[in-house]
Amino acid sequence: MRKTNIVILSMLLIFSMLLAACAPAVAPAPAAPAADATEPAATEPAAAEATGEGVPMVLMPKFLGILVFDQAYQGALEAHKELGNPAELQFLGPTPENSVAGQIEILTNATTQGVKAIMISNNAGDQIAPAAKAAREAGMTVVTWDSPIPSAEGEQVFVAQVDFNETGKVMADMARNILGEDGGKFAVLSASPDAANQNAWIAALQETLKDPAYANLELLDIVYGNDQSEDSYNQALALVDKYPDMELIMAPTTVGIAAAAKAMQDEGLCDQVKVSGLGLPAEMVEFTLNGCAPQFALWSFVDLGYLSYYVAYKLATGELQGVEGETFEAGRMGTYTIEKDPTRDAGLRVLMGPFTVYDASNVEAASK
Amino acid sequence: MPPRWSFLRRWEGLLLILLIVIVAYNALNTPGYLTVNNWVNLFQLSIEKIIVALIMTFIIINAEIDLSVASVMGLSACLTGFLYAGGAPMAGALAAGLLAGIIAGLFNSFWISAVGLPSLVVTLSGLIMYRGLAYVLLEDRSIGNFPAWFNQLGQQPLLGPFPLAMLIFFVLLLFAIIILHYSGFGRYIYVIGNSKDVARYAGVRVQRTKMLLFVASSTIAALAGLLYAARLGAVRGDMATGFELDIITMVLLGGVSIFGGSGSLWGVLLSVLIILNLRNGMGLANLSGHVQTGVIGVLLILSVLAPNLFASFRASWSRRRARSQESNNA
Repeated sequence: MRKTNIVILSMLLIFSMLLAACAPAVAPAPAAPAADATEPAATEPAAAEATGEGVPMVLMPKFLGILVFDQAYQGALEAHKELGNPAELQFLGPTPENSVAGQIEILTNATTQGVKAIMISNNAGDQIAPAAKAAREAGMTVVTWDSPIPSAEGEQVFVAQVDFNETGKVMADMARNILGEDGGKFAVLSASPDAANQNAWIAALQETLKDPAYANLELLDIVYGNDQSEDSYNQALALVDKYPDMELIMAPTTVGIAAAAKAMQDEGLCDQVKVSGLGLPAEMVEFTLNGCAPQFALWSFVDLGYLSYYVAYKLATGELQGVEGETFEAGRMGTYTIEKDPTRDAGLRVLMGPFTVYDASNVEAASK
Repeated sequence: MPPRWSFLRRWEGLLLILLIVIVAYNALNTPGYLTVNNWVNLFQLSIEKIIVALIMTFIIINAEIDLSVASVMGLSACLTGFLYAGGAPMAGALAAGLLAGIIAGLFNSFWISAVGLPSLVVTLSGLIMYRGLAYVLLEDRSIGNFPAWFNQLGQQPLLGPFPLAMLIFFVLLLFAIIILHYSGFGRYIYVIGNSKDVARYAGVRVQRTKMLLFVASSTIAALAGLLYAARLGAVRGDMATGFELDIITMVLLGGVSIFGGSGSLWGVLLSVLIILNLRNGMGLANLSGHVQTGVIGVLLILSVLAPNLFASFRASWSRRRARSQESNNA
């Protein structure tokens, strides 16, 4: 009999240890704002006074564990320090396998916590709209970045990375730079056939190619590697076999471009077939330096996080109302205007742009 | 221990103490936790899962498993969205969504109870097939713009602070407790779960019971899928993906044996409350999703380990006592 009691007690002990394990992480949450309230307030008294306790904010990525989202958090933190917001900036995201329900849960909990502004890279389509509307009703500022709420319901402003039409022109320009004045033949290696953003970019590329200035560029084929490294690698090699006179593979996806460059490098084909598209400097640096992928482009996710923070903060403090035509300063990035979003039926956007084109001269610095 | 406290030695007793610890901890440490709004949110964020967990308790006690529930949720919601977008009236589209659940349940139970295939295999195929159908219907589209009354039912309180889904949960919970613990049918479920053969020789209609359970499981899953659609205001092919594992976790943590034959709805109710409050507390404390998943994983391992630990402790103790008696006799 006594033995059973000991077993029960030991089970309870394990459970309480489990709870205790959470404790250190719990404690700082309410304490932190008070702790650093004094110091930043001194540097930027205007912002702190206007908001009293500061503006508690949340930056929410599609899910955790993706490099570009971590970069966006760096940018948001930079803006957070610059503006001297005495409250906390949290970087909260769901796990990849629980993205939709997880995003809704974080947004709902943020409402309970009294968070004043949230920045969402939406991965839940319109399904997040009711939770976003509830957050708006509770007085929270809701800004999207990277990926908007399609219906724009519950969202005040979308901070767009680049204009989709510009993506087509940037890719066509890179193709012309790499292939030279006499032009040449190239193929596109995309993500999945259903990826809305990639399809829009490829359509914009095809539109750009109609311009006589790009007449000597010929698009041979569009293939899909489904954003899987191995699929993309094999698709790139299959393109080489199928089109012996192909001189360039253009991949508007960070997975596809790295896999294609690896394939060309492994097979020693980099002299005949170059690779370009949208890529991450950290993943592309070796291929750019050895000439397999002499040029590629991407927007800066650090800047995107930085700009999103400025937009959300200014909306939350009432400096911006979130109406069409408003103009504002976003720190080191300059002046921006809130405009109607032409890519959706409804909604407002702030267009960041432009692309950064990376080559051997700047890729090393950006990859760090 | 006086008999009044003897329930504390059971699994449910441990769960109750754990729940009290968690609630007390959250209440003391997390501002905003003890508000009506937060408690409604805490239920609402997982309401579809806990509705399905009720019927899953029946299935697992019956020594079966239904892995297809989350896919049925997705299918019924997508079918409703598909028909509504195609011009059908909302009420008709909802009825069709429910009907899809009933048909899926009949399909599952045909292979399980009439043909006699293992439910693990049948419902695993169901998991893949019903999800596939949902994707066939909607592809990569998202369908929204449902009538206002439908969204209202999913998102606004209906009675006091409680939305429709929560009311449905409590009514179903009451029914489930009465059926499982206070009816002859409930006894049959335990008997079958303990031994199918014994049940058959004792004259229990094993096939019919299993058929009823699997049809009920898919139908309730379909209902939960429709409630989910109302709560989110839009449907997509990947809706509710992976929910089956969360649902089964709730049931197992509640002390229901994965081998069937034992467990209770009280335990499941406690485990549901523990998981919801733990998740809510961790969420409000800004712990990352990975940590939350990890903590609930540890809980589940403990829930499987603990009964075995009890048993082996008891066995070794009685062995030792027997040995010491022997040496005393000598």
